[in-house]
Amino acid sequence: MIFVIAEHRDNKLKPITSELLAFAQRVGRDFSQPITAIVLGSDTAALVDELKVKKIDRVIAGEHEQFAEYMPDPYVQALKGIIEKENAFLVLIGHTTQGMDFAPRLAVALRKPLIAGCVEYEKEGDRLILTRQIFNAKMNMKTVLRGEPPYVATASPGAFPADEVESGGIAQVVPLPVELRTTSQRKILERVEAQKGQADLSSAPIIISGGRGLKEKQNFHLIFELAEAIGGSVGASRPVVDAEWLPREYQIGSSGQTVSPKLYFAIGISGAIQHLVGMQTSRCIVAINKDPEAPIFKVAHYGIVEDLFKVVPALTKIFKDLKQA
Amino acid sequence: MKIISCIKPVPDPASRLSINENKTWIKDQDLTFVASEADNYALEEALRLKEKHGGEVVVLSMGGEEAARVLRSGLAMGADRAIHLLDPKFKGSDEFTTAAALAKAIEKDGGADLILAGVQSDDLGTGMTGTMIAAFLGCGHATVVVGVEANPDARSLKVRRELEGGINETVELPMPATLTIQFGINQPRYASLKGIMAAKKKEFKVWSAADLGLEDGQIGRAGAMYEVKEILIPERKSKVEMISGTPEEAAATLVEKLRKEAKVL
Repeated sequence: MIFVIAEHRDNKLKPITSELLAFAQRVGRDFSQPITAIVLGSDTAALVDELKVKKIDRVIAGEHEQFAEYMPDPYVQALKGIIEKENAFLVLIGHTTQGMDFAPRLAVALRKPLIAGCVEYEKEGDRLILTRQIFNAKMNMKTVLRGEPPYVATASPGAFPADEVESGGIAQVVPLPVELRTTSQRKILERVEAQKGQADLSSAPIIISGGRGLKEKQNFHLIFELAEAIGGSVGASRPVVDAEWLPREYQIGSSGQTVSPKLYFAIGISGAIQHLVGMQTSRCIVAINKDPEAPIFKVAHYGIVEDLFKVVPALTKIFKDLKQA
Repeated sequence: MKIISCIKPVPDPASRLSINENKTWIKDQDLTFVASEADNYALEEALRLKEKHGGEVVVLSMGGEEAARVLRSGLAMGADRAIHLLDPKFKGSDEFTTAAALAKAIEKDGGADLILAGVQSDDLGTGMTGTMIAAFLGCGHATVVVGVEANPDARSLKVRRELEGGINETVELPMPATLTIQFGINQPRYASLKGIMAAKKKEFKVWSAADLGLEDGQIGRAGAMYEVKEILIPERKSKVEMISGTPEEAAATLVEKLRKEAKVL
């Protein structure tokens, strides 16, 4: 049995859940394993409706008032109970802030292997080989799991396309009364959405983003000048914001804004997966980086392997000249 | 308040990495090792909490000479003492066995009110070890933390977590707890010359696997939950068109292509 732990918010499945189902359907075919989606919530009816139309075998709906908001301890207690009762092969969880919060505890509770941040898998005989990225996506590591199943894996957002999920299933729906031994010691006090400020990039047609390759805050004017010449907006990768070169509202990526402009420039950005998930659906992506191995080139349409301090001023000059012409 | 700050030694981010002959790890013999970047944010947060509430900061690391090096840097930044888990048997540890050993060391040192670790390391980058330490210790935890407020008298913590899409969540949890600290929570300090001199006189404990009461099957490669089959440079699936020439030529060609081919300008 392959278990997919559904992630949801505001009574809707999050996109990662479809990605996990796509992953599960592929592994399920290769290893002849049925698929069960587990959804934990205080009221799961709408979520179950979304899940049961996918091509999977079963939906387990675990309801408890303590699941109104995600908390790690109740999740781990409930999931351990469900998984240990079955002949489980693989447990799939999103490599998201929520998944990363409980997957390690679940693996330790089960005393089973956890491979975090999976991007691909292989079948080698009867063995499952899980691949994940290391060194900021510069290398891939293929891992062989030890011991008897189940194995726990978290999947990187964006690695398994959600649109590959097959629908048309007749999943059996199993409501599961959940009993929890304890109440969560961790409690949510508040949840706030960060202000978008003047840098709301969600509707910008052209975005020029700079990264750590700019070396210092003073050099960021190169990005602003190019943006002005081309008539675009400025964005940034996480390290730029962490170093306080620009305010948080400029950040593009999984913990910042998700954008999809018609033209995206990634300048001096290596392309960590967290950045890629925030911009990879852009219509045309240009990457300028002096490292030919930088993962940003994997999603780019045009690439220039060169010193950005030479290419960017040259580009700015061309656009300025074009404007005047 | 006693705070333990965990530090992982990783290759200096400026180093050029290559894969070893067995394709099981990188060639790490000649590399310089530094503290994983997120662990610096964790240590800075630990030092600030101590400055506010009193107590001590202990830095903890596992590994060979490279671990001793990052621990000395931690002492120079202002930590009070260091614990170095040093044993050839620790070699080949995964997140599971690393967390088990670190948790044992924390117990042997008499526990802590707060355990901090970086949100993820610069090498494996899985972000799992910190939370696994909490699981082995049986204490609470919170991940991706961008703000910490401690109330030692009430044995309580208020922490802000960063979720996807710019959402922040504030949670309350009791001490002891383990927190994984997000990049950018603070600006880590640099060690002063005075700090570097003072570090030489600070307590520096070295513990082996036997000191922790860990058996061979529970640690290092022998206890690991998975084996590395192969490390490889990922194949590029993309159809990226590389533009060459001098910077001026490349810029001109790019603009031409964006206008005529991609038609986005």
